Amino acid sequence: MPSKHKVATTDELTDGSRVITEINGQEIAVFQIDGEYHAIANYCVHQAGPLCEGKLTGETYVEDNGWDWNYDDDEKHITCPWHGWLFDVTNGENIHNSKYKVPTYNVEIENESIFVVR
Amino acid sequence: MTDYFKMFVGSNTNRLLSPESIRTIEGWVRVPNMGSPSNTAESQRIRNLDELDVIVDTDAHIRETIDDLLPYIDDQYEGAKWIVERTEHPERDIYSLTHSLPPSLHAERGGWSADTNTVDKKLNELDEFNIDYGIVDPGLNLVLPTVNNERIAVALTKAYNNWLLDNFLDEGNHRLKANLLVSHHRPEMMAEEIDRMAGEKDIVGVAFPSTGVIPPAGHDRYDPIYQAAEDNGLPVFFHGASTNTSHVFPLQRMYNQTYTEDHVIIHPFSQMWNLSSLIFQGAPERFPDLDFVFQESGVGWIPYLMWRMDDHYLEMNYELPLLEKMPSEYIHDQIYFTTQPLGHTEDNPRHLAMAIEMAGPNNIMYSSDLPHSDFDPPSELFNRIRGHFDRETVENIMGETARELLDL
Repeated sequence: MPSKHKVATTDELTDGSRVITEINGQEIAVFQIDGEYHAIANYCVHQAGPLCEGKLTGETYVEDNGWDWNYDDDEKHITCPWHGWLFDVTNGENIHNSKYKVPTYNVEIENESIFVVR
Repeated sequence: MTDYFKMFVGSNTNRLLSPESIRTIEGWVRVPNMGSPSNTAESQRIRNLDELDVIVDTDAHIRETIDDLLPYIDDQYEGAKWIVERTEHPERDIYSLTHSLPPSLHAERGGWSADTNTVDKKLNELDEFNIDYGIVDPGLNLVLPTVNNERIAVALTKAYNNWLLDNFLDEGNHRLKANLLVSHHRPEMMAEEIDRMAGEKDIVGVAFPSTGVIPPAGHDRYDPIYQAAEDNGLPVFFHGASTNTSHVFPLQRMYNQTYTEDHVIIHPFSQMWNLSSLIFQGAPERFPDLDFVFQESGVGWIPYLMWRMDDHYLEMNYELPLLEKMPSEYIHDQIYFTTQPLGHTEDNPRHLAMAIEMAGPNNIMYSSDLPHSDFDPPSELFNRIRGHFDRETVENIMGETARELLDL
């Protein structure tokens, strides 16, 4: 039966910041990105690295002219500090291949407190 | 601890893993695009070469000479022709055909003499090994990338194509199909050449001699060639040649003191360079309807490079925005490989079949390389794979995949 676990208050978690905690033995990170809260396991499915201790980053992309490289600064991708694998913290999917997926968890806000449901 | 359990990964700490992560890892190790391997029922196996409906040799060489080509040089290139026909050693001074040591001591079935450059003799070669179709590739003109004069390179390319039409394809046998030749020197002119030749009967692909091609095959200077090939529905065949080592790996040529050292390394080297360039520079992304074929490096290197490319792709996001999917997915979708030379694999015959399984058997096509003296007869491949794959997979590798790809 899932239960709610308080991890922080909303004023503690500013835009682009995170908190990493342990819930029922599972390390889970909660990120605040553009006012939304996202919970994801602190576990890289590549080699079991501490995924959520890495940097948040955007994504390079090619312009329609096929030549220019640009950088999308919507920094919602967590970079594993071990080998650089990138996962979208909003859905847990590897940005290159969705068959690699890290568990995500529901987040609820009540009275300015942030809860992870697990 | 009933909802999840501990999993120890290597020397890592006891990080806790939930059931959904386990499912992800199971999906992760599954190999895509496999044929049916060794658990195939005995009744589904194929036992004898005679049971095959078709055997296609996807690398059937002919042995054109300068004297063959000279009459076929267009009037437009009269000046180039004048120089070539007065060159005492054109293989050396027009082309730069060099070996570390001469391979002529190797075997009686030599690779470079001109004694089988006729249709009848080429058909005899196919008949000797019960091969139904031969996809004809050049011999001397594998060395085309070493021609340092662009006008002469273009003149010789077109001369080869004219000679090919006149001597091999207009003979009406239809068992010999051919790749039209392009050089890397002037891609726009080669696009015109593809358009000129593509409609000729029995032209099934574009031969792009690829050792000595600088910059490598993924560079967008070759886009006109790929665009024309895609527009005409012709796959592009990359064929290496250790004869060209001096132009692309001069240090290796300098210190490879034997033909063996040169030949062992340069074929896979140059194909690895061209394939990784092609993938990471996004050529399959730019030409999604174009197929590419890599010839004459065997199959053992394919899983190695594929694993390596996928690994880098997942780790080097910031420098690979041209790619929309895994390198191995581009390979499975658009890249084919011909099998010769298989190497000495008979100590455990299954090893070769396992390498093909790892590479993706749907993209592997039999080739002989006849008449060169490291050729593989059909039985050499067939005997290694028939016990490992089901009947359909074996049929595909020996000929059906080529029949479909090349519309035979």
